[in-house]
Amino acid sequence: MGLLTKKSRAGADEPPHFPMHVLLVLATLYAIYPVLWVLSIAFSGRQNLAIADVPPDPTFWDRLRTVVPWPAEVSLSNFRSLFADQPFATWVLNSAIVSIATTVVGVFLACTAAYAFSRFRFPGRRVGMMSFLVSQMFPGTLMLIPLYIILVKWLNLGSTRTGLVLAYSTTAIPFCVWMLKGYFDTIPRDLEEAALIDGASSATIFWRIVLPLAKPAVAVTALFSFMTGWNEFILAATLIDKEAMYTAPVGLRFFVGGFSQQWGYFAAGAVVVSIPVVALFLFLQKYLVSGLTAGSVKG
Amino acid sequence: MSERPDETEKEPSHRLRFGAGLLVATLLVAGVGHRLLSTALGETARFGEDRRAVVSLRALTDLVARAGDGEAVRSVVAGFAAAQPRVAATRVVLFDGVSLEASTDPADSGDDAAPRRLKREEKELYDRGQRLRAAIETNRAEGGARKDEVEKERLADGSLSLAAPIEREGDVVGMVETRRVPPPPAPRPSLLTTLSYVVAPVVLFALLSLVLGDRRAPLGALAAILLAGTAWGYAAQSSAKLSRARTALEADVAASVKESAAKAQELLAALPAPAAPEAPADGAAPEAVPAPSPAPLDPAEWDSDAFRRPLGLSDGAGNVDAAKVAAAIASASATIRRSSLLLGAIALLLLGFVGLGGLAAFLRTLKTHRTAYAYVVPAMVGMVLLVFFPFVYGIVLSFTDQTIYNSNAPLTEIWVGFKNYVSILTDFRVARTAADGALVFNYQNFYWTLWVTIAWTVTNVTYGVVVGLILALILNTKGLALKPAYRVLLILPWAMPNYITALIWQGMFHQQFGVVNQFVQMLGMEPVSWFETPATSFFTAWATNGWLSFPFMMVISLGALQSIPADLYEAARVDGASRWQQFTAITLPSLKPALVPAIILSVVWTFNMFNIIYLVTAGQPAGSTEILITQSYKFAFQKYQYGYAAAYSTVIFGILLVYGVFQNRMTKATEAI
Repeated sequence: MGLLTKKSRAGADEPPHFPMHVLLVLATLYAIYPVLWVLSIAFSGRQNLAIADVPPDPTFWDRLRTVVPWPAEVSLSNFRSLFADQPFATWVLNSAIVSIATTVVGVFLACTAAYAFSRFRFPGRRVGMMSFLVSQMFPGTLMLIPLYIILVKWLNLGSTRTGLVLAYSTTAIPFCVWMLKGYFDTIPRDLEEAALIDGASSATIFWRIVLPLAKPAVAVTALFSFMTGWNEFILAATLIDKEAMYTAPVGLRFFVGGFSQQWGYFAAGAVVVSIPVVALFLFLQKYLVSGLTAGSVKG
Repeated sequence: MSERPDETEKEPSHRLRFGAGLLVATLLVAGVGHRLLSTALGETARFGEDRRAVVSLRALTDLVARAGDGEAVRSVVAGFAAAQPRVAATRVVLFDGVSLEASTDPADSGDDAAPRRLKREEKELYDRGQRLRAAIETNRAEGGARKDEVEKERLADGSLSLAAPIEREGDVVGMVETRRVPPPPAPRPSLLTTLSYVVAPVVLFALLSLVLGDRRAPLGALAAILLAGTAWGYAAQSSAKLSRARTALEADVAASVKESAAKAQELLAALPAPAAPEAPADGAAPEAVPAPSPAPLDPAEWDSDAFRRPLGLSDGAGNVDAAKVAAAIASASATIRRSSLLLGAIALLLLGFVGLGGLAAFLRTLKTHRTAYAYVVPAMVGMVLLVFFPFVYGIVLSFTDQTIYNSNAPLTEIWVGFKNYVSILTDFRVARTAADGALVFNYQNFYWTLWVTIAWTVTNVTYGVVVGLILALILNTKGLALKPAYRVLLILPWAMPNYITALIWQGMFHQQFGVVNQFVQMLGMEPVSWFETPATSFFTAWATNGWLSFPFMMVISLGALQSIPADLYEAARVDGASRWQQFTAITLPSLKPALVPAIILSVVWTFNMFNIIYLVTAGQPAGSTEILITQSYKFAFQKYQYGYAAAYSTVIFGILLVYGVFQNRMTKATEAI
């Protein structure tokens, strides 16, 4: 009885929900307004930044019309000509190839290294892990000049996908290694020891026992690597100067950077590029968050 | 028990170790030395070939300039080419009439024989001449030597193609192009001699070690002495070889100058008084002035660099300026000495490493942990090549003044020490007072940018934490309807790729069409030019980053809030604690373990938030809203000051490192309490 009364009293003590809903709706509007705005430009069928034309002597309602993110007419023409008239399909393809290759290379490197850091004790282990952590602090621009010199001038990989894949997969390694190591640490060793007694080799144990058990973490790492490649802008903008080799981010910037004002193409492209990552992100963000905070707590 | 004797058995003797060490070290010295020497010999040979080529070309241009045009040119070209066995083909192009005036190229025979108009597909040839003319005009206008006045191009078969301008009375009227026959292969140092620098010390060591016995100190000293001897010997040998090659080269070039001069005089003398019949034909030349007698040839001018400045190593009559050559040789020898000292030091370290058992220990460790290393190596190699090496290289660059113009120069030549750091860190002229008493800020100053960066980081993180925390507290209300929908929509800004966010917001702040100004006008105010004052421009970037960063804090806080046991609040309520007391005594302390790392992380992210600043404000106006990271990018890729930008980035790294260490101490200290 006592418990029950307490509970009901606690319930009565809760503040009313209505103002909370008001606040949340306002916040949500704030959060989605720019997104709606991109959507409406994308579907407006025009290249304009403004949704509606303002008459010469606008009333309050004319003004209001310009800030409501709904296009005057809904049309898919921006999407159609984005793929038909602009080399956007090539750019997305470049991005996809680079991101997938980055994922494969990055995850392979990160898995093996994380396994060694988690399971073996060897000279250089601590130094190796700390150096991975410190490398996260290297400012991007400090790396950019030497990377440019190494990849473009020495290895002659400017404007190639290979150059980007190499750069992306190595920059993604430290985070992936720390995240995977954390997960490997939680996998009990009994299984591996049993397999060892049964005469399994270290490689068999890694491929057949540990990796299958670590599937969720490997999946998150893979998606992180993929997003690194898919969303990266500045390195690609620096290394690539052939239009045919642009990745999607560089290409999108091409539509609205400088004196170019093709907002319709930009918005349509942004929608195309964002849908996969936003979906993946919403699906996986809780794992990413735990990985991020776990890494920094340990550091 | 059984392993111990095994190991001591395997332990090699000092004799063997130092012997092996000496072998490896001398191999390094001799191998690298051999390579350096053959490169240097090749370069010397090429240098000589280039200079002979320039001498013959300059002699010919002087001849052609004096011969005028027509038959005279063809006769001097043919005569000169006959005396120059190393010239494969000569072509003379005159701009006036776009003609190929003379040619000894086998391709220009029959229908194509000179003189004729240049063909369309020979535009390259004409352009080359115009390039030379432009170069000379530029150099004259600037009063310097920046563009090549003699073009050298190495063709695919190793032969040289050169072009030099024909000048008459200060005007460039044409061009002579010659193609040389491929040069004979450069002399190479003998491999046998080099090998003897490995065999001799090792054999000597083997013999002497029999006398010294298997004692560490004497054997080590012996090996070190032998190594030093080897390095010194090889350096002395290389030095002598190179100086002989250089001396021979100078004599050869001087002789070729003399020879060309003699031939040129002979051909000039054979010309039938060149300019006299030409003058009346040239309508512009007044009758009264007699044809200017051409200045005498100056063979000393011919041995010149790409800007037609004479090298002055010989006098044109076949005599070498011994003092100048000796100085050149001495400076080359000094370079050899320096590099062999460095090489010797590295070899000595290697000897010590192998001889004192470092290598054995290293190999043992590798072997014991081979599985672990096999797993780590792929990632480590990638990291070393594309993360750590670039990092170190960047720091090295920061001590040079590399720019786009000297990016091919060796780093030692553009080494400036701490100059970049000094000019970044000790320039405190952030603001000055203008004539009208107003403060004028220097937006390029490091401390201005640092201040902007700190303001940027603090305001953004504060905003993110406050908004994120408030939303998390609301979302954490028990029994709230539509919670998952709110949550997903509120995470959206974080999920969007941030370069897209940045570009959208930049568009939203557009002065004429941007939606923000539509709101402003809706409220009856004048539209704002957001990117034209530092404060409003900063605000645009801040609003963008605030929008995309609050969801992270919200998610973190929400996770932490949900893990607070409800009993705590109940107990507090029983004790009569107010809502505010509950918040400060229960909620905030429970949030701390999750929020502190998130804030630390978010500070680093915001500090380095390149995309937002770069894409939203791009530093407008006048670089006032740059943060450190975008500023260093500007120095590197817009002003092309690579060295300065590298120093700038290193300073950023230093700041982050100090922050990292400090934050580590702080969290440890707070955890201890």
